[in-house]
Amino acid sequence: MNTGTCSPMIENYFAQLESKMADLPQNQRQEFLMELRAHVMDRLEQVAAPSEEDCRNVLNALGTPEEIARQYRMELLLKRSTWRISPISVLRTTLRWTVAGIQGYLVFIVAMIGYVISACFFVTALLKPIFPHYVGLFVNEEGVQIARFPMQPHGHELLGNYFIPVAIILGYLITLATTLLIRFLARHGRSLRQRLA
Amino acid sequence: MPLLGNTAKTERPENWEAQLRKGCLELAILASLWERRLYGLEILRLLEEDSDLVLAEGTVYPILSRLKAEGLLQSEWVEAEAGHPRKYYWLTAAGKAKVVSMARFWSSFSHNISTLLKPVLNGKGGR
Repeated sequence: MNTGTCSPMIENYFAQLESKMADLPQNQRQEFLMELRAHVMDRLEQVAAPSEEDCRNVLNALGTPEEIARQYRMELLLKRSTWRISPISVLRTTLRWTVAGIQGYLVFIVAMIGYVISACFFVTALLKPIFPHYVGLFVNEEGVQIARFPMQPHGHELLGNYFIPVAIILGYLITLATTLLIRFLARHGRSLRQRLA
Repeated sequence: MPLLGNTAKTERPENWEAQLRKGCLELAILASLWERRLYGLEILRLLEEDSDLVLAEGTVYPILSRLKAEGLLQSEWVEAEAGHPRKYYWLTAAGKAKVVSMARFWSSFSHNISTLLKPVLNGKGGR
């Protein structure tokens, strides 16, 4: 490395820069300093025999050690701000977990209700041929009844044996609707979590 | 906090030009690497030829470090005949995608501003 008469000036510059960056991780700092040294060498090689004046110009163009260290730190901060531990980011993470928890609970409840109702329809469809007077669609003063044990439901029966295909279709549709709703909740929850992230 | 005080001082509104340069520098650095791998000084030379973006040359290196840390650039030390190694940078796939979206934004943004500035530059009207 031919830096002519200005080696001391360069060494002084890098010693200052290194001390200004002393608190930063060592391997990062060393690589950064090495890169800047390469820059200074390249700049000085453009001059046949660099004088102190040339050297000063190169270092001035680079900026003061304070400036460079400050900017390096600023850029580092810019990068780290995405995972820095601050009360706000911790709160957001907590909220995210809570939302995921509420969402998981909601999905579970929806799944339970939906699948139990559809299972009931399938069971009544199976039971209709076995207990034709106990199972069916009855309308009376209490409202609508599907099945009643141990007493027979009273009132007017609407569907008769058509109750079997209707119950199977309803059971199938409710199963389908539950599955779609769970999928929707999962997707919606994901986008909500992304918005919070 | 001396650091904070310092920043506040250097970021006065009069420094609008410097702020604008700083904001564009990242795009310019990424764009300079579009065609081939370059080391820091080559990037600086490109920027000096094509623009007046760089005030202090040293500002480019911390930005390069950050862009690498963000995964937009990749780098490698290459031994050169100069006698010392040079750190070459190139765009990662993420970096390419980023520079394309930045360039698109810049293109429409600058077009809109130019349209807005036309009457000002013509010097007509205005009270």
